[in-house]
Amino acid sequence: MIRKLHGILRLHSTVNQTRIRQRAPTLLARNYATDEANENANTDDAKSSKKNNAGTSRSLPAIRNPFTAAQEKTKNSYLTMVEIFAERDVHRRNHVEFIYAALKHMPDFGVEHDLEVYKALIDVMPKGKFIPTNLFQAEFMHYPKQQQCIIDLLEQMEDYGVMPDYEMEAMLLNVFGNKGHPLRKYWRMMYWMPKFKNLSPWPLPDPVPDDTLEIAKLAVERMCTVDLRSKVEVFQASEVKDSLDDTWIVSGMSPEQSKLLREHSRQKALYIEGPFNIWIRNRRINYFTLRADADAEFLAQLDEREVDEDDVTQIGVPFFGRAPPRRHNQLGKLRSVHHQDDGTIFAICATGTSTKDSLLSWIRLLEAHGNASLGEIPVLFRFTSSLPDKAEQIEGPSNMPAHTRATTSNKEQSDSSRP
Amino acid sequence: MQSLLRQSHRLSCCLPSAQIHTTAVHRTFWEREKKSGYKTKLPEPSKKQLIIDGLRDLKKEIKLWRQEVKEQLESDPILVFRPGETDIVFDFKAPDVLDKWTVTTDADHGEGRSSATLELSAAGAGLFHGEVNSQHTKDGIIKRTGYANIRTKRVRKSFKREATYDWTQYNMLVMKVRGDGRSYLINLHTEGYFDLMWNDIYHYVLYTRGGPHWQIAKIPFSKFFLSSKGRVQDRQSAIQLNCVTHFGFSVAAKKGMDGPFGLEIDYVGLEYDPSHREEFAYEMYKTPKYIVAT
Repeated sequence: MIRKLHGILRLHSTVNQTRIRQRAPTLLARNYATDEANENANTDDAKSSKKNNAGTSRSLPAIRNPFTAAQEKTKNSYLTMVEIFAERDVHRRNHVEFIYAALKHMPDFGVEHDLEVYKALIDVMPKGKFIPTNLFQAEFMHYPKQQQCIIDLLEQMEDYGVMPDYEMEAMLLNVFGNKGHPLRKYWRMMYWMPKFKNLSPWPLPDPVPDDTLEIAKLAVERMCTVDLRSKVEVFQASEVKDSLDDTWIVSGMSPEQSKLLREHSRQKALYIEGPFNIWIRNRRINYFTLRADADAEFLAQLDEREVDEDDVTQIGVPFFGRAPPRRHNQLGKLRSVHHQDDGTIFAICATGTSTKDSLLSWIRLLEAHGNASLGEIPVLFRFTSSLPDKAEQIEGPSNMPAHTRATTSNKEQSDSSRP
Repeated sequence: MQSLLRQSHRLSCCLPSAQIHTTAVHRTFWEREKKSGYKTKLPEPSKKQLIIDGLRDLKKEIKLWRQEVKEQLESDPILVFRPGETDIVFDFKAPDVLDKWTVTTDADHGEGRSSATLELSAAGAGLFHGEVNSQHTKDGIIKRTGYANIRTKRVRKSFKREATYDWTQYNMLVMKVRGDGRSYLINLHTEGYFDLMWNDIYHYVLYTRGGPHWQIAKIPFSKFFLSSKGRVQDRQSAIQLNCVTHFGFSVAAKKGMDGPFGLEIDYVGLEYDPSHREEFAYEMYKTPKYIVAT
C-alpha cells in the first residue's frame, strides 16, 4: 500500500506517515487538497488529537507533488527542486519517497539520460548514516528501504543506458559504505555496461538526431554497408521537372548495382517495393527498394559450377588419361552480394513523404544520374500498404515519416510483408 | 524479478493486512515448478483419451527408439568437423518447421500488449514479426514489460525422455537472418536438474543491419554470458555446449522502441572455426565471499 504512494510526495512526515499506515485504504480513495493553509491546520490537528478518526477532511495529510506542479519542465527547474528539498530541513524527512517521485517524473523533464541529475538525487541521501557498523547490519541489508531506493535508481539508469562514473561510486561509498547493496549493483553495472556499450557493428550517434532527413541518411548508410562502394546521395524531388512533391530523397546505390542495372534485360520489369521498416535506435524510418526478380538462370548456372566435395561417385583417376577439365575453372560472372536468392537489389531509398510521386521522382533522378537504362525498363510499384499518390498529408512525427496502414487497398499488386 | 514480485503479491494477498510486505520478498531458491508461477493450467484430458493418445504416440516413439538403437550399434559419429563448413541445426526451409517453435509475448499472461507470430515469409524463410508494446496494466506489481520471444521445444529422445543438444565440437553460431535494424537477444537455454539451474540462459546480442540484403551473423559461443531470470549473474562461466536444451530469440520494447519488428531467419547453424581460440570472453574475477547473487 505504502509503495503505491511513492509517486506522491508527503511533506509533513512523522505524524502523518504513521497515520497513513493505519488508514491507507481510506486515503487511497481520496483526492488531496494542496493548499499550504490546510497543511498547517493538519499538523496542528494531528498533534493535538491523535485519536481523531478518519473521515474528516481536516485530518487528511497534506500532499503536494512539486514535479507535477512545476511550471517549466527543464533540467534547471528539476535540479532546483532537488536542491530545495535538500535544504528544506536538516533531517530531510521522506527523502526515499522524494527520490522515487523524482525518478518517476524524469522523462517529463527530459533528464532521464542525464548522469548529473542521478548524482543530484543520490546526493539527497545523508552521508555516513547508513553505513553498517557491524557484521550483522551489513549482512541483513542495513536500512533496506533506502538501499532499495538507490538500487531502483541505478536500475533506472541501466534501463535508460546511462553509465555511472567513479564519482558516483565515491558518493555511494559515502552513503552506504563498501558493504552496501547499491554498491554491488554499481560494480556490476560498471563491469558489464562498458562491455556492451560499443558492441554494435553499426555504431550510431547518441542521441540520434531528431531531423528525419538525418535519420534517413543514417538508415540508408547503414543498409548500404553491405557493399562498401555504395554511395549515398541526397536529391531534391524539385530537381525533376514534373514532380508534385518538393521533398528530399535519400538514395543509396553502388557502382556494382549500376552495372547490374545496365546488364538487366529490358523486358523484365523492375519493382519499387515497400515501405519496409528500419530502426535507427528508437526511430523508425520507412524505406523502399528497387529490385527485380531473381535471375534464376544465372543462379542455376552458379550452382552447376559448384563442385560437390562430398560426392565420391565420380573421382577422376589421374593414371588413366588426363583429368577431365573442371568446369569451375572456367571464366564466368561472379555472384554479387546484390544477387539475393529472392531478387536482385538495385537501389534503396527513403523519401521525406513516402508518396508514389516522390518515388517516381527518385526513378527519374536515378535515370538522370548515370542509369540511363532505367528509361527503357518498365518499373512497377508493389506496396505492402497503401501509399498516398502525392504529399497531401503533413509530415508526421519524426519517428513515423510515412503513413503506414495495415490494409492493402491499392491497385498495385501486393506482396506479402517483409521486414 | 517480476515473478518474484508476483509471488510476493500472492503471498501478501493471503496474509492479514497488518503483515503486508512493502518490499519485494526475496525468494532466491526453491521453485515449485519450472514456470515459476506462470504455468497455464490446461484441463487434463480424460483417462480414456490419455490411453488412446498414448497408444497412438507409441508407434512413433518405437520408431524413434529403433533409430536410436541403430545409431548406437552403428557407432559412427562425425569425428572431423571441417572448418568453414556450416552444419544447419534449425532450418526454416524444412517442412513443418513452425511446429518446433513456441511464440510467447507478455500478453500471454495479461501483463502487456505485445503481439507476435512466427510464419513463413515470401522468401520461404521463417518470419518472426509482430509488435512490441511497453504499455502495461498499472497494477502496481509489474514495473516494465514489452517483449516477444520465440523458443524451440525441448529436445527429446524416444518415449518423451528429455535430452540435450551436443554442440561441443563447434565454437561458432552461424545465422542467416534479415532484420530491421533492431537488436535481438539470442537465448541458449541450459536448463539444469536443480531448481536453481532451471532458468539458466546464455545470452548474446544479434545486431541486425536492416535492409533488403540477407546477413550472415557468426557469433562465437565464448561471447555468451550467463543470466538467470533476466539478471546477469556474478559467477560466470563459459557455456557448456552439451547441455543446451532450447534455443530462441527475444525482442524488447526497451528505450522507446515500441512498434513493429520483423526478423526473417533462413537458418541457424553451427561451425567449427579453428582460428578462434577464445574460451570465454569475460574476465572471471573471484567475487568476494557473500557478494555473489545478493
